[in-house]
Amino acid sequence: MRIDNIRLLNYRQFRDVEISFTSQKKHDLHLIIGKNGSGKTNFLNALNWCLYGDEPHLSIQSKLLPLLNLNAISSAEEGADINVEVEVRFVKEQVYICFVRKAIFKIFKSEDFPVHQSTEFEATISAEDMNSKILNEEEAKIQLERFIPSGIRDYFFFDGERLDNYFKEAKGQNIRDAIITISQIELLESKIEPRLDDILKELRRAAGRMNPKLDNTTQLLEEAKDRYKNLKKEIQGCHKEIAISKKGMENCDRNLKGVPDIERIEQELHQLRADKKHTKEFIKEYIGKKANILFDSSICVQLAPSFQYSLQVVKEKRINKEIPPPASPVLLESSLKNNQCTICARELDSNAKNHVEEMLQEIKLSSEIANQLINIEYPLKNCLDRLKHNLKELHELTRSIDSKEKELDKIEERMDQIEKILKQCNVENVRKWFEQRKGYEEEHGKKQRQLGVLEERQKKLQEKIAELENEFNEEMKKEVKNKELSKQINFCKKSLEIVTKTKEVIMHETKKKIESKTKDLFFELIWKKETFADIEISDDFDINLIHFMGYSCLGSISAAERELLALSFTLALHDVSGFESPIIIDTPVARVSDENRENLGKVFSNVSKDKQTILLFTPSEYSDDISKEIERIRSNKYVFNLSAAENEVVLKEEKYV
Amino acid sequence: MSDVPDRLNIDKKDRDLYNKLDQEEILRFKGGKRTRKEQFLLALSFGLKNNVSKPLNAKEGWFLTKDLNEEDKAILNSIALYNTKSVEVLNRKSEVFKIAEEYAHAGIRLLFDLMNSVQFGSFNKRLELDVINNFNKLSLNDVNE
Repeated sequence: MRIDNIRLLNYRQFRDVEISFTSQKKHDLHLIIGKNGSGKTNFLNALNWCLYGDEPHLSIQSKLLPLLNLNAISSAEEGADINVEVEVRFVKEQVYICFVRKAIFKIFKSEDFPVHQSTEFEATISAEDMNSKILNEEEAKIQLERFIPSGIRDYFFFDGERLDNYFKEAKGQNIRDAIITISQIELLESKIEPRLDDILKELRRAAGRMNPKLDNTTQLLEEAKDRYKNLKKEIQGCHKEIAISKKGMENCDRNLKGVPDIERIEQELHQLRADKKHTKEFIKEYIGKKANILFDSSICVQLAPSFQYSLQVVKEKRINKEIPPPASPVLLESSLKNNQCTICARELDSNAKNHVEEMLQEIKLSSEIANQLINIEYPLKNCLDRLKHNLKELHELTRSIDSKEKELDKIEERMDQIEKILKQCNVENVRKWFEQRKGYEEEHGKKQRQLGVLEERQKKLQEKIAELENEFNEEMKKEVKNKELSKQINFCKKSLEIVTKTKEVIMHETKKKIESKTKDLFFELIWKKETFADIEISDDFDINLIHFMGYSCLGSISAAERELLALSFTLALHDVSGFESPIIIDTPVARVSDENRENLGKVFSNVSKDKQTILLFTPSEYSDDISKEIERIRSNKYVFNLSAAENEVVLKEEKYV
Repeated sequence: MSDVPDRLNIDKKDRDLYNKLDQEEILRFKGGKRTRKEQFLLALSFGLKNNVSKPLNAKEGWFLTKDLNEEDKAILNSIALYNTKSVEVLNRKSEVFKIAEEYAHAGIRLLFDLMNSVQFGSFNKRLELDVINNFNKLSLNDVNE
């Protein structure tokens, strides 16, 4: 089934446009090129509106505008009815099925927007060798469900941005729903299974009415089963939230790939600032110390010759006994008084006593000059000693200051590096990603713990249910009168088990088929043949791409690789579902780097051999990299331009040269 | 009344030079870094080192002798002794102070010239270099043991 023709009448910026998709080559590939705002996405919306009655890709600007074309409104007369009409014609083996949605609006100049009157949806089936058959709304919907069920239309008409985001959100539940739809087991899931469950309940209640013990067990069993059902829902919800947080972490990791850890860097910067301040204070303190020593040393060293001269005079005078020995009269007097040396505590013998008395006499009798000389001796010696010590300390301080200055240089150099890094990356975003990742990580852990508790409760409840069912069965065996009822209950239980089992088997088979087909397609189309080893769809219906080293690498692959994986999965869904519908992608290379556009061009070329493919590009996206692959194989190429008033699409077809 | 002076003087014209020492952090009087006495002793050391002294034309009291500690007194006595080569000078305090004042009067100009001769920010380095060179020329072990 392929789209043959689309006609848009008074739909948004399409006044009256007809687009044909005729396959002239072995590749059923068609292009629509248009600048941003020229109507490409609304073309996708028109398809959805015609087939399903909604516009899932509507931009904020378009939401503010009426569905009805603005020129149609302005040129209409007061009170006139104007139609918005989109017609999509499919063709398969000479049979045409044309879906038309028509909305009627009444124009009142006093109203801002035209007033909606009614909407009609119908389909017409026609062929050369048969009469046309018109299908009413309900019949048309049923017919459409056979081509592209509304539940999985997202896998047929989508934009490139979504292709890239395909695996960023938790898709497990959506993929599960899609598999249910394409397995066509909805009937089992939504109708047969619940109905059998209700019948079983009714039969047990009937048995209970005849035996109070059975009644009690039935009540307990129903309560336990209700609790089990709720618990199951809670567990499913928990799994979903775990998947969301896991994907969230992967997204953050992808965003943060190669990005520095801002929190750590800022902590480092904070520490460096503190170190810088501390080091500067240290240097300042040491420079101050050094300055004091230098000042003192400068005086001492320049006066040192005079000190040396004076000390020499003192020395000579002492040799000549012109000045008394250097001793304290107080100490000498104290020693004599106590008959004991005040310094070493030795008792004074007569010789020592005489010597001390002589010294004391000498000091007392010395001249004023001698006293002056005695008084200068110690301070001058101290100055010279200090000078020696100061020189050593100057050297030490200089070394310490040099070392601290080098440390300061290193700190400042690292600070410069960090500031450069911070300038290069969007700090706000990076911080946000780190915070988000932390949040997801916490949520993931919390939900894992919650899941553990719930699963434990589920296990216990399962045991309780089995116990109650056993109890019920034993009691039923005793009821000779209710053999028929017992048979019915057993039959119903078995039927329910079969339905559930069948559903699981079909789901599993479908999942396996999709997994296998996705793998085939991906490995056929991927340009890096050696990098990836496998593709798995988990029990939670999550897709995992396995690197040849054995780890899951979905979070770290490029946008082009992710897009190819999404495309392979989509095509696998198409294939397994048996819905031979076209694939329409708006901005298919929006997130893809230049070097990979060529690769994707080849992919689309391959895909369009077996499937009608309609791609919508902006002129800049349709760069040489991709056009050199596509231009030679494409069929129709349309260019959307806006009219001078910029409110209407002007269509131009470009023939292949 | 004692004939011992109660203060040490500078030449009135030197006040401006002393104030200009504030240009260098290491010599600064403002902010309490250095005292007038310390500045005076440094100027004195420059005069003695270069063996120049100059009589004061007009005196201005610079700091009081009560601010001199035992070490300062020993230094001033030592300079007088070195200058006169006579221990008798130690009994004449006014002469001891006069000798110091005259060395400081000559030395402050030398200090000021040195300060202006070096590039901004390198005075301390120059001072450090001079201290090391002068220290290396000394033989400190002779008398000090």
